[in-house]
Amino acid sequence: MSTAPLSNVVGLHRGGRARALDVVAWVVLVIVTILFLLPFYLMIRNGLSTTQSLTSPDWSFFPTHPQWRNFTDLFHSPDIPMLSSLKNSAIIAVLSTLGTLLICSLAGYALARIPNRAAAPIFYGVIATLMIPGAVTFVPSFIIVSSLGWVSDYRGLIIPGLFSGFTVFLFRQYFLAFPKELEEAARVDGLGHWRTFWRIVIPNSGAFIAAIAVITFIGSWNAFLWPLVVAQDQSAWTVQVTLSTFITAQTVNLPQLFCAAIISILPLILVFVFLQRYLVQGVAQTGIK
Amino acid sequence: MVGAAMPSRVVADEPSVSRTGTAVPVRRIRGQRWAFWAFITPFLVGLIGFVYVPIIWSAVLSFFDAQGTVVPTRFIGLDNYKRMLTDGAFTSALLTFTLFAVFIVPTTFIVSLGLAMMVNRIQAARAFFRSVFFLPTACSYVVASLVWKLSIFNGVRFGLANQVASLFGSDPIAWLSTINPPLYWIPIVSVRLWLQSGFYMILFLAALQNINPELYEAAFVDGAKGGWQLFRHITLPLLRPTAVSVLLLCLIAAYQAFDEFYNLLGNAEYARPPLVYLYYLALGTQQNFGLGSAGALILAAMIAIVTILQSRLLGFGSKGES
Amino acid sequence: MSDNRPLASSPFSRRLFLGGAAAASAAALGACGSNHGSGSTQGAGGKTAIQQWYHQYGESGTQQAAKRYAAEYKDAAVTVQWIPGDYDTKLTSGLAGSSGPDAFEYHLSRALVTSNEVVELTDLIADVKDDYSEADLGSCTVDGKIYAIPMIDDPQLIFYKKSLLDAKGISSIDTLDDLVSAAKELTTKDVKGLFAGNTANNDGGALVGPVIYSTGGRYLTKDMKIGFDTALVADALVKLRQLGTDKSLLLGAPTDWTDPGSIQNGLCAMQWIGMWAVPTMTKAIDDLAVMPFPKAAPNGQPSVASGGWSAMVSAKSKHIDEAKAFTKWLWVDNTKDQEDWSLSYGFHIPPRKSLAAKATKLQSGVAATCVQLNADHGVQNDPNWTPAMGTALTDAVTRIVGKGADPEKELAAAVKKINTELQKF
Repeated sequence: MSTAPLSNVVGLHRGGRARALDVVAWVVLVIVTILFLLPFYLMIRNGLSTTQSLTSPDWSFFPTHPQWRNFTDLFHSPDIPMLSSLKNSAIIAVLSTLGTLLICSLAGYALARIPNRAAAPIFYGVIATLMIPGAVTFVPSFIIVSSLGWVSDYRGLIIPGLFSGFTVFLFRQYFLAFPKELEEAARVDGLGHWRTFWRIVIPNSGAFIAAIAVITFIGSWNAFLWPLVVAQDQSAWTVQVTLSTFITAQTVNLPQLFCAAIISILPLILVFVFLQRYLVQGVAQTGIK
Repeated sequence: MVGAAMPSRVVADEPSVSRTGTAVPVRRIRGQRWAFWAFITPFLVGLIGFVYVPIIWSAVLSFFDAQGTVVPTRFIGLDNYKRMLTDGAFTSALLTFTLFAVFIVPTTFIVSLGLAMMVNRIQAARAFFRSVFFLPTACSYVVASLVWKLSIFNGVRFGLANQVASLFGSDPIAWLSTINPPLYWIPIVSVRLWLQSGFYMILFLAALQNINPELYEAAFVDGAKGGWQLFRHITLPLLRPTAVSVLLLCLIAAYQAFDEFYNLLGNAEYARPPLVYLYYLALGTQQNFGLGSAGALILAAMIAIVTILQSRLLGFGSKGES
Repeated sequence: MSDNRPLASSPFSRRLFLGGAAAASAAALGACGSNHGSGSTQGAGGKTAIQQWYHQYGESGTQQAAKRYAAEYKDAAVTVQWIPGDYDTKLTSGLAGSSGPDAFEYHLSRALVTSNEVVELTDLIADVKDDYSEADLGSCTVDGKIYAIPMIDDPQLIFYKKSLLDAKGISSIDTLDDLVSAAKELTTKDVKGLFAGNTANNDGGALVGPVIYSTGGRYLTKDMKIGFDTALVADALVKLRQLGTDKSLLLGAPTDWTDPGSIQNGLCAMQWIGMWAVPTMTKAIDDLAVMPFPKAAPNGQPSVASGGWSAMVSAKSKHIDEAKAFTKWLWVDNTKDQEDWSLSYGFHIPPRKSLAAKATKLQSGVAATCVQLNADHGVQNDPNWTPAMGTALTDAVTRIVGKGADPEKELAAAVKKINTELQKF
């Protein structure tokens, strides 16, 4: 990470032209930064406006009297079930993350480290599902979930998503590269697979697990199609379904809706600020598919 | 894939003797089989129950006339498939997707690669820029659609795009409902671009930073002139595995586009990608699960074919290398 | 990747992790119990539990009112589901599937009857049949049997800001041509002339019905034939298209025509909307005025789309008798709540004539004009018009208004499809 990109070193060799390119790069980056931050700015500006100033033909860069009460009004609004959908999203995201980590790490470890004749066919079975992207299977999955009676139920929202072939694949690759010496030392001490896994492997895999956890959490919080399909009852809506419903609702309180959007991204912004390192690592892992 | 299978066999063939030479009791192999199944059963149950069974059930259902029910009762053979493939709506959905892919994949590729190269180039504030471009990940497609539909690209005078347009003397444009010219592509493509570029930029950045600087030195010494030559002969080839990954991921993601189309355009028949169409078919007013299943399987087959084709043509890039 | 850390003595106990995960899952799954879910179950206290679905009414206070009425009912535990967004799709899939409502509001269509999705309700209204107008009963009757109880009547007309029209010297709009030119004149850089739906430039928005009525036609005649003159409607639809090409239509607004937000926020000068929004609009607009949809053919007349909502009972309900009893209690007998519903939030005409007669709030101002216009020119929904026919017509209209296709040809094709549907009866 400390290797200076050689383009810079080369630049030093070549002087003026490279410096001009540097300036160009800076200018472009600044412009793109403004463009990228624009939606966030709009959310805040709109969330703190009144409907009148929001819809007026004159553009105001920021409301002269920020309407903080829009936030409190949002939570008291009987039309937008903000509190209950936040609760649902939180529960689903946390349980999905914990569940996925548990189930997929175990499976990945088995495939990587526990010799068994069934390992290869199972692995092929997992790979095969990677060919069929998740979203396309929502119709059949809904069929199963609805016949189990799990519609509008936490079970229907969480359980089908726990069995990610992709996550198992990632864990397997990771465990394959895990230093064997640690496990073999454990073997010598008489620990079986189970205890080796929990006492040795997992504690030493913090960074990787954190990366997968962050990616899974974000994916679950932001998921839309599946919750839309399964959470048909208003009491089961996640925050994404609630927002979506109110984009197309008959009557909409625009500033409140933007407040709702801000609140819905706050948890992820927090994750982003504090756990970015793991997030980036998780993304890098995803790319090395 | 063969390489992956080997370690397990090797270990299993090894007589039950540990590295230190002491014989390990046979009991351990039996314990090993128990351990394997203990570890893998939760996942396996779910894989079979929630991935394979649905796919198989759905495949079965696709040969039946199943409206408003998920129980196969009326066998109609290939009718659903025939109907799906000759149905103007499905084929136009595929067309929509193709157009969409043509717009979004190259654009995302260029933007994310460009951003990665520029961020890689500068020294100061690199972490800041990387964070800014990656920040949209905190937004879901729904949130982004909300901002796009109600604030930036709404059709009325207080939308940002229309405010800018009015600076150029234009009337407010109804971006999402203008078919002639098809201006609705602008919000649709830009929303995904904003949300995704950071993700792919991270991939490219990681790859760029893995390039050994000595290669550049050597090329420079060999007389390579100008950044473009270095780019073409060193950077690009070394980026190939990542580039292939990015293209493939981008394409598959585009195939499954749902969230932004549903929230920005709803059931508009002029811009309805396959998944949106299937959603309305299976879960909308018709509740036609048989037809929806047929469509889903056709779509899955197409994605699988594209994936295989791409890996054949361009090589499983990343898999072959690091 | 080599890691030289010594064997950890495992502060990280698997027990902790598993225990935590297990406890959390158990708590969550236990909590989700019977609260989510489908259809009817036994409610608390042994009372039958039934579900009642409403679409999202725009006026504030409506959801609480609906829940209040449900709570007043003592013979069953009624849960109110308030459905925002696309009510049509949600309801249709709910009725077709297994997790739908027991009692719900909607617009009766023959399709619901032929696919056995609604229950006959003739006996509920037998005693007070005279208190309902023929038109109201007609929109709730299929083949002589009543399947829906009228809840509210909603006249829909063109509301406008009088000062804006006066400023342009527009004194009256009598024909569709007048409307088109008025809309064009009223359009400025910041304000559009007419709002009739976010995609009205493509599919005619809410104006397709009114256009047909204003040519002197109806969707269907009493003996189930096409009720409109194709040539006249074709001409009128071309004029609808002109509204779009003139750029006098407001499009892409944050809310659709059923919400008064657009005219209130000054985005348009005229808006097609219903009387329900009068209380909200009069608060924001001093010079609110209203007119019917102007006549669209030499021998046509102005028209008012007389919509509304009716209460029905799902045939798939597991508690049909209880749902019927509840529907009778609320929408036939409980005149106090009906009055509250019709007048305290948005304005609707109570279907029961006795209630409408003493509705003082509807006897002055813009509301009174609406009621009068509705009496003179109102056209009710025709339950014999099925969704399939609607789709055929909408497709044709979209091509005519949105793409400028040959109107006579498209309408002829649509009429053919509609006739095929009619044969099925």
